[in-house]
Amino acid sequence: MNLATKLLQISLAVFIFSANSFANEVNLYSGRHYDSDEQLYAKFTAETGIKVNVISGKGKALMQQIITEGASSPADLFVTVDAGNLWKAEKEGLFEPIDDFDASSIKIRSVVPDNLKGPNTTWVALAKRARIMYYNPRTVSAAELEGLTYEDLAKPEWNGRVVIRKSSNMYNQSLVASLVANHGVEATEAWANGLVSNMARKPEGNDRAQIMAVANGEADIAVANSYYIALMLSGKKGAEQQVAANKVVPYFPSQDGRGTHINVSGIGMLKLGPNKDNALRLIEFLLSETAQNHIVNNSFEYPLLEGVNPHPLIAQFGTDFKQDQTPVSSYGEFNPDAVKLMERVGW
Amino acid sequence: MSYKNFFDPWIILPTILFAIFVVPVVWIISSLFGEYSDNWTHIYNYTLSNYIYNTIFIIIGTSIGTLIIGVGSAWLVTTYNFTGKNILEWALLLPFAVPPYILAYTFTGLFDSYGTANNLIRDIFSLPHEFIFFPKLRNVYGASIVFSFTLYPYVYLVSRMAFINQSRSIMEVGRTLGFSKFKVFYKIGIPSIRPAIIAGLMLVLMETISDFGAVEHFSVNTFTTGIFSTWFGLYDFHTAKQLAALLLIVVITFLVLEKYSRRKNRYSSGSNVFGPIVAEKLRGSKNFFASLFCMLPVFVGFVLPNIQLAYWALNYKLEFFNEKFITTAWNTFYLAIITAIICALLAVIINFSIRYKKNKILNILSSFLTVGYAVPGLILALGVSQLLVFMDNLLFREYLDFVLTGSLVGLVLAFIIKSFALANSTIESGFLRINTRLDDVARTTNTSGWKLLTQIHLPLLTTSFLTSMILVVSEVIKELPASLILRPFNYDTLAISTYIYAAEERMFDAAAPSIAIVGVGLLPIIILSRLTVKSRPGYRNNDSHYQSY
Repeated sequence: MNLATKLLQISLAVFIFSANSFANEVNLYSGRHYDSDEQLYAKFTAETGIKVNVISGKGKALMQQIITEGASSPADLFVTVDAGNLWKAEKEGLFEPIDDFDASSIKIRSVVPDNLKGPNTTWVALAKRARIMYYNPRTVSAAELEGLTYEDLAKPEWNGRVVIRKSSNMYNQSLVASLVANHGVEATEAWANGLVSNMARKPEGNDRAQIMAVANGEADIAVANSYYIALMLSGKKGAEQQVAANKVVPYFPSQDGRGTHINVSGIGMLKLGPNKDNALRLIEFLLSETAQNHIVNNSFEYPLLEGVNPHPLIAQFGTDFKQDQTPVSSYGEFNPDAVKLMERVGW
Repeated sequence: MSYKNFFDPWIILPTILFAIFVVPVVWIISSLFGEYSDNWTHIYNYTLSNYIYNTIFIIIGTSIGTLIIGVGSAWLVTTYNFTGKNILEWALLLPFAVPPYILAYTFTGLFDSYGTANNLIRDIFSLPHEFIFFPKLRNVYGASIVFSFTLYPYVYLVSRMAFINQSRSIMEVGRTLGFSKFKVFYKIGIPSIRPAIIAGLMLVLMETISDFGAVEHFSVNTFTTGIFSTWFGLYDFHTAKQLAALLLIVVITFLVLEKYSRRKNRYSSGSNVFGPIVAEKLRGSKNFFASLFCMLPVFVGFVLPNIQLAYWALNYKLEFFNEKFITTAWNTFYLAIITAIICALLAVIINFSIRYKKNKILNILSSFLTVGYAVPGLILALGVSQLLVFMDNLLFREYLDFVLTGSLVGLVLAFIIKSFALANSTIESGFLRINTRLDDVARTTNTSGWKLLTQIHLPLLTTSFLTSMILVVSEVIKELPASLILRPFNYDTLAISTYIYAAEERMFDAAAPSIAIVGVGLLPIIILSRLTVKSRPGYRNNDSHYQSY
């Protein structure tokens, strides 16, 4: 019993300590889990003396936590890897518009294009990723690729040849939501139905597993995010994946139409956060050339800032491809519709 | 209950404690009284039947799997001597250290069409590229296998403790009646420990139900994945909460039924029937199959995943084991110990009140706390947040510069609710083993209340207390999606390091922290196995007592 009492006392002391806060800091709830992000925040601290505190978790869960905590929440910034989350947080009224802060907003606004930020700059994109296709050059002909769009994958000539991950994945939800934004629910559902019947297998695994399936000959074409090919080629994920990556060719769809589907990592400043000035400085820093270079060189995403080049491993596949201008915020708006229709067709 | 009883500290204390811990669970269930959104139509029409079908399938599959493995191996190591028994009797607990989702990830790494195992078979036999030897595991069968091999230790542990404590004389009666070995097992061995088996099985099922990682990885839609797809995909947290509430009500019903059914069957044995267990030596093929039967679960549930993890970790992410790792590991262990102590104390106080005050209401209500084990971690975490914000506003904001939100309090609270069931089941059965006549004798010598608990019950509960702590420790170490959103800033534990990567199927990155989880989890498991053997009544007098037998 004595030991127990002592441990309880110690733990209480730790609780009080851990709840205490340092003065010059900024608190981040982050849905991005890259080790390289920690190095990035360390750079910011070295430059400004502002300590960056991070809790990383699932985007939606962190958002709900911010809502639940309300005025008690220590969070200043919310970072997420899907535009839908940013839209939802904005709808919930969690973000403080950056436009209200004159000096900072001019700098931030000049960098971020309109389709990649929230109304009144409630949030901004930090980096872009494209949802592209990967094909097996031995089984897919040049003629088949001619003008290929996402919509085309539902056509009968792709029967039994397509792999894509589950409908529970947010990147798929965003892609389908963008189709809903452009074609409406009914047409998109018909498309999804066709796509499901064209699938080479029941959806399983992550994006890299789809690319591996094409490399192994299980399917002819896969839909997956752009940075995976660079990650696999880099050898960071092992020799096996490096070999596989060399067996597939990335393809940027819909170049004759709307353009390739783009999603973003983004950040928003929270209305009830205690350290607004520091939060703005961190956003500015993340949009600086140093930070953008750091991001693209580690995560192989596309930069937001003009003049910063993507990493050579991803840039080799082209950087001037046509990007879909559908506002990324519409992904959030149509996300529930997208999920429902995917569940209806058994994706 | 008279009004006088109402002011009794042994009623008030447990009731208040109970009230605090049960708030988050009640908060989830209360959502059922709110509005019902249109999304229910979609769920009802398109997804619900699939969720229910898969969930029931996995529950049945896992029950069969854990019962065969858990009870079977417990019986073998308790009753017989066979090759490797001395190692296997504790090694059978090792899969405790492997969370189901990690086994799922390593299984697909091994057995997917182009996984390690299939590649190996193709290489060895120079088979064509398309040849696939191992069947697909990403389905309800695979999920049942994964849960069976990671969760059977709960059944093994309770069955083994029960078999050890079982009266030998009734077995001997069976043998004199000419029953075969197997007949003694299922006609006498099993029925007399049925309550223990069911209690262990309830833990298995609650963990199975609340699992998200493994089934999501296998692309199997269960009730819990449905909760998350409603929350994350349909952006409808309220409906997600309602789905969770429905799940809890089903689980509570089962828990109450189990308690009720147990009341009718009190299994007790005279105090003088604990003769020494003379394990019978097996020979020949029986020896071989007994060894194989007990070795298989250890191999599949522990050795195999660790080989795969080690392979990943050695190839890709060894730099994880740096000085930050020490902090992370310490955080994990510290949190686990704190939670375990509080959990065990809480279980003792609540069960003591139920016993001492014959508090029947608390007895039924405690099911509401036990059910925390079946709540998906993230949802539970938000319930805890809600409670903390409320308490902050009520208690602290006005007077103190001290807030609970974002402190370790929330994290520990969530762990306690999540793992109370584990502590409770051991403490409860520990109390059942203490003869009530002891209490009556104590009363005649004016030993009651606090004195009765600390001087008479607690010394007799030592093993149960430590066992419950260890169960909680190993649970907290491995399973904590709740901690993702409740932890203080920059606070990492091993499971967080694993989970963050594993949730995105970045298994190469997750392998090193996974191995660390297994490593840290091993220590309590080894202690646990020592305790199980000692739990037999009269063990402490082992030498003198039994020799004079």
